[in-house]
Amino acid sequence: MAAVDQIPVTVLTGFLGSGKTTVLNHLLRQPELNGVVAIINEFGEVALDHLLVESSEDRLALLDNGCICCSVREDLIETLADLASRRAAGTIPPFHRVLVETTGLADPVPVLHTLMTAPDVLSRYRIDGVVATVDAVNGARTLAAHSEAVRQIAVADRLLVTKTDVAADDELSRLDVRLAAINPVAARHHVRNGIVDPAKVLDAGLFDPAAHSADVVRWFDLAAQAANAPHHHVEHHCDDEDCGHHSHHAHNTDVSSYSLIIDEPIQREAFARWLDYVAALKGEDLLRFKAIVHVAEQPDAPVVVHGVQHVFHPPITLQGWPSADRRSRLVFIVRGIPRQIIENTLCKFAAVSRAAIRRSAA
Amino acid sequence: MNRTFADTVFRNGRIYTSNRAQPWAACAAVKAGRFIAVGEERDVASLVGERTATVDLRGRMAMPGIVDIHNHIMMGGQADLYELRFSNADSVPRIAETLHKAASAAKPGAWIVGGQFGNNLLNEMNTAESCALLDAACLGHPVVLRDDTYHNRWASSAALRLAGVQADTPDPTDGEIGRDLKTGTLTGIMIEAASGLVERALAASGHYTPEMDRAAVARSIGVLNTYGVTAFIDAASMQPILAALKGLDDRGELTAWAVCAMPVVEPGFMFGKAGEELFALREDYRGAHVKPDYVKVFLDGVPGAKTAAFHEPYVADPVRGCCFRGATMLTVPDLIRWLGRCEKLGLAAKIHCAGDAAVTQALDAIDVVRSFNGSTHLVHQIAHASYIAPDDIKRFAELGVAADLSPIIWYPTVFLEAHKAAMGEERAQRFWPNKDLKEAGALMAGGSDWPVIPIPDPWQGIEGMVTRQNPTGDFPGKSLWAEQALDLATVIDIYTIDAARAAGLGQSIGSIEVGKSADLIVLDQMIFDIPQDQLADTRVEMTFFEGRKVYERGA
Repeated sequence: MAAVDQIPVTVLTGFLGSGKTTVLNHLLRQPELNGVVAIINEFGEVALDHLLVESSEDRLALLDNGCICCSVREDLIETLADLASRRAAGTIPPFHRVLVETTGLADPVPVLHTLMTAPDVLSRYRIDGVVATVDAVNGARTLAAHSEAVRQIAVADRLLVTKTDVAADDELSRLDVRLAAINPVAARHHVRNGIVDPAKVLDAGLFDPAAHSADVVRWFDLAAQAANAPHHHVEHHCDDEDCGHHSHHAHNTDVSSYSLIIDEPIQREAFARWLDYVAALKGEDLLRFKAIVHVAEQPDAPVVVHGVQHVFHPPITLQGWPSADRRSRLVFIVRGIPRQIIENTLCKFAAVSRAAIRRSAA
Repeated sequence: MNRTFADTVFRNGRIYTSNRAQPWAACAAVKAGRFIAVGEERDVASLVGERTATVDLRGRMAMPGIVDIHNHIMMGGQADLYELRFSNADSVPRIAETLHKAASAAKPGAWIVGGQFGNNLLNEMNTAESCALLDAACLGHPVVLRDDTYHNRWASSAALRLAGVQADTPDPTDGEIGRDLKTGTLTGIMIEAASGLVERALAASGHYTPEMDRAAVARSIGVLNTYGVTAFIDAASMQPILAALKGLDDRGELTAWAVCAMPVVEPGFMFGKAGEELFALREDYRGAHVKPDYVKVFLDGVPGAKTAAFHEPYVADPVRGCCFRGATMLTVPDLIRWLGRCEKLGLAAKIHCAGDAAVTQALDAIDVVRSFNGSTHLVHQIAHASYIAPDDIKRFAELGVAADLSPIIWYPTVFLEAHKAAMGEERAQRFWPNKDLKEAGALMAGGSDWPVIPIPDPWQGIEGMVTRQNPTGDFPGKSLWAEQALDLATVIDIYTIDAARAAGLGQSIGSIEVGKSADLIVLDQMIFDIPQDQLADTRVEMTFFEGRKVYERGA
C-alpha cells in the first residue's frame, strides 16, 4: 500500500522554553529545508521567504474507542488534506516534506495518532520521525513536574538537548541519564545556540517502506542494546531541595523501557490478536512500541509495527532482511507495564514459545 | 465509666450466622445498624441498657438477610402496581380473555402493559390467527405483553402503529419482527431487540412518572423484604431506576442494600443513557445504600427463543435451518475493551451468558484481562451460569469469576420444556451444573431475575437447589439433573455470604458478624430440622435491615 510519493512528515515537539523555536528558525534557513512546508502552532519570529507556513489551531476529536487519551487533530487532518489538494492542483509549489511543530504544552500523541490513523492522511503522508527538544538547564525540573514533557520524550525518535552551552557539565550528564532512562532508544544530540544539522532531524525513516531495511534493523539492534542496558528504569533521586522531586506525579517516575528478541517465526494472526489485546488493556500506558517482526507467513519480508498508546500504525512490510539475523525485535517504552506481563501474554495469546524469548540483545 | 449499650439485642434464638468461624449463636447485639456482639447470653448481657430494645426470638431460627444477586427492581413493583398479570402457564385464548376484561375497563387510548406469557407460546403466537384473536381482545388499545424471559414481546396492532412498525419495517440488529410464515403479515411478536421498538413507544408516551418509579421500586423492595431479602443487584440499572433508588435512600426509605449494574449498551428492554454516558453519572446516584459499582453486559439472548449462543446447533427449524448456534452480541476484543475500561473505572461486570458458547467467550475475555491486568478486587459475574461446557467449569474459580445463579429454574419448569424443544431433551437437561461448580471452587450467588420469574421468593430457589424438583408441585416426580443437588448449608451460603461477596459487599453484609450490617431475618421454622421438600414453605416472620424492623409477618 506504500505509495512511492508519500510525503514524509517530521514532528517537532518540545516543552515551552526548550529551544524548539530557535531550532526551527535555524532549520528553516538551511538549504536542505527547501520545499518543506512547516505547520506551526505558535508563530515564532521566522523569516519564511522560501517556505510555506500553515497554522493549525488545536482542535481535538475523540477517536471512537472509548478512551479520552486517544484523540486526533481534526485541524491537522484538514490542513494536510488541503495542502495535498492544492499541491495537486498546482496552486502551491510542490513540496517534498512537512514539518509539524506542536505547541509546547501539547501532548504530541494526538498529532501522531492523526498521522497514524486518519485515512486521508495515511494515503498521502508518512511519519518520518518525532524530534523532541529538551532544555539542558531546566529539562530535569520540567520532566519532574509535567507528564506531557515525559510523554514528549518517550515518543521521540530523536532528542535534541538544547542550551548545552549554558548548562553545567554535571547538570548535563544528569539530564542525559534521565533521558536515557525515559527513552533509551532515541538518538540524543547536544545542540548549541539552536544550531543543528538537518540530517540529525530529518529522514529518521522508520516508517519508510522503501528499502531502508538495513537502517531500520540497525536501529532496532541499537535500541535493543540500549533498552536492555542496566539502570534504564527511572529511579529519580535528587540531593538538592529544588529539583522538583516533591512535586512528582507518581506516574512520571514510572516510565521504563525494555526490548525482547523472539527467536522463532511469529504467526501473523496470533500476533495481531495480541497487539489488539495490548492496545485494549494497556494502551494508555504503552507510550511507544516499535517492532520488527519475522512473520511466519512471509519469512522474507519483515514487518515493522509502530504503536503510540492505543493506536497502531498500519504494519509496514519491508522488502527484505538486510542480514542473516532474522529474529523479531520488540521495543517498549511503558509506564508501569512489567516486562513479565508482556512475555507471559506473548506466550499465551501470540503463540510464542517461552524458550524463543531472549531478553538480551547480546 | 463510659459504657456502650446496644440499641437492640436479639435473644434466645437459634441464629445461623453464615460465618464459618462461629456458625451458630443464641444472641446478637446491634448498635447504629451494626452487630457489636454475636454469641451467647453472657456476650450480650452487659450491653443491655435502659434504652436497649430486646427482641425475644423464642427459640426461633434467625439468619442473615438474603442477597438477591439478580433482579430488575423496578419491573416487579411496576408489574404489581401498574400492569396486567397472568400466568406463564396460560394458553393464548386464556390470555385473550384476561386481556379483553382489562381492555374493557381501561380508559380510552390508554396503554395496557402485561405479562408474562410462557416463551413456549412464541411460535403459536407468531401466526395471523393468534394475532387476530389477541388483537380483537385489545379493543383498539395499545397493548404490550412481555414473555417470561422478558426478552420478547407481543404487541397489539395499535401498539405497532404507535411504534411506527409496518409490514415492510426491516428487522433491527439482534432482533426480529414476527411475521406469519404463510401470509407474511405482522403478528405482533417482537423478538429481542425488536421489543425495543414497542417499549420505546411506551416510554415516550409518558405512561410512567418519577413518582410512579419510586413507588414501584419501593413496592418491589417491600416484596423482597417479606421474603427476607435485604440486599440485591439490580441487573440493568437505567437512569430512572438509579434515580428512584437514590430518591428513596435520600428519604430514608430504602430498606435494602442496592447494588446497581449499569448497562454498557442500551438493553433491548430498557431505554435511555447507557455505557460511558451513564457511568459518568455514577456518583450522582451513589447513596449510603446505593452502590452503582457494576456494569451489565448482554452477550446473548435466551435458549427458548434460540437467541442464546451455543457451541452445538439448535434443533433444525424452517427459519434457521439445520446448523444455527445463535450468536454473541459482542466479539471477544470488544468485550475485552469493555472489561478493561470498567476495571479502570473500578466497575465490575455482570455478563449475561445464557448459552455455553457465550459463557466460554466471557471466560476467554476475562482470561485475557486477568493476564494483562493481574488480580483484582472486582468480582465479575457470569449471569445465568446454567449451560456450561464441562471444560469451562473450573475456569470460574481459576479466573475469580462468580456464577450468578438466576432465574430460579434449576428444576423442571416451562423454561426447561422450551429448551428441550429448542435443543433436544438430552442437552436441555444438562442445565445448572451447580454441584460441579461448587466442587470446582466457584463463588456462587443465588438470584431471582424477578420478574422473569413472577415471584422473587428465594425459598423456592433454596429448596430447588437442594432437591432439584419443582417446589410448587408442578412437574411432580420429575427432577432436573439430580446429581447437581447441593446441601442446605452450602445453599444458604450461596444466598447470603457468597452472594454478598459476589456483589462486592462481602466485608459489610452477608453474615452475622461483629462489624457487619445488622441485616437479620427470623424464620417460622428451623430449616435444618425439616424435610427438604418443606424448605419452600418457610415463612419469614421478621426482617431487620441495619437493625431496623422493615417487615413483620401479619403486622
